[in-house]
Amino acid sequence: MSVALEVCRLAEERLGPATDTLVAIGVTVGDDAGVEPGNLQFCLEALLAEPPFRGATPRILREPGDGLHLSYLEIADHGRQDD
Amino acid sequence: MAVRTIDVRERVLARNDEIAVRVRARLAAAGVPAFNLVSSPGSGKTLLLERTLAELGAELRIAVVTGDVQTQNDADRLARHTDRLVQAVVTNGACHLDARQVEAALDAIDLPRTDLLFIENVGNLVCPAAWDLGESAKIALFSVTEGEDKPSKYPKMFRAARWVVFTKLDLLPHVPFNLARAVALARAVNPSLGFLMTSSIAHHGLGEWFSFCRANARRGVWV
Repeated sequence: MSVALEVCRLAEERLGPATDTLVAIGVTVGDDAGVEPGNLQFCLEALLAEPPFRGATPRILREPGDGLHLSYLEIADHGRQDD
Repeated sequence: MAVRTIDVRERVLARNDEIAVRVRARLAAAGVPAFNLVSSPGSGKTLLLERTLAELGAELRIAVVTGDVQTQNDADRLARHTDRLVQAVVTNGACHLDARQVEAALDAIDLPRTDLLFIENVGNLVCPAAWDLGESAKIALFSVTEGEDKPSKYPKMFRAARWVVFTKLDLLPHVPFNLARAVALARAVNPSLGFLMTSSIAHHGLGEWFSFCRANARRGVWV
């Protein structure tokens, strides 16, 4: 859960007041990272269902090694006034 | 609805690791070695520390930071053996300590008057392996009542540790635990591991552990 909390903190830091636009979040988990992907998925689903998020989907990506990264954020793009 | 992707590629534990660097620098500046005791729940971390404080408390200035999920029981047990500060961190459900908690605990410890710091982590062989606390080294306790294949099941922890302290050796005649195989499996994961054999109940092997503590107190290089 603490890893999931840290992922959400990073997402909030990146998005600022736009956290409600988050659609999906990609987290890369190394095979030797010591993190059980299914558990992380479960925790992220629980956290992303609550404000300031609005039910964004966590996507766990696997890779060799012991890395643990927030890989990408997918956000709803409603267009900008100056587009 | 259009969806835009923002590439991030940021290490999840980067913030923790930044704080751990600060903790490590602070401890190094004060010349205080810090050992992060990690293990499964119930492997004997608290009792080993009780024995250590009782034996060495008058000789070495030992400070302890304990992490417990929900109580202060471990800290209360240790406080009975020392006048030195025992800092209790209740993690409120988290399965490990993090560097921010240790940094905050250090504020209450008189580091210039400390020879050795023990951090008793939450009993868990998974999460504490990933969280750097700024310690000098991790010491994994491995009780003979556990499966001897723990190093194969939890390789990250045994890779992260510098020493393994086997505990509860007094129970060895009564449990199906192959000590030689456990050592071999641990070495297969991390060939540079050092090993100590102890029983805190039977006071077996504690002399070697106490020597280890004396040798490492107030040293810049850990032995």
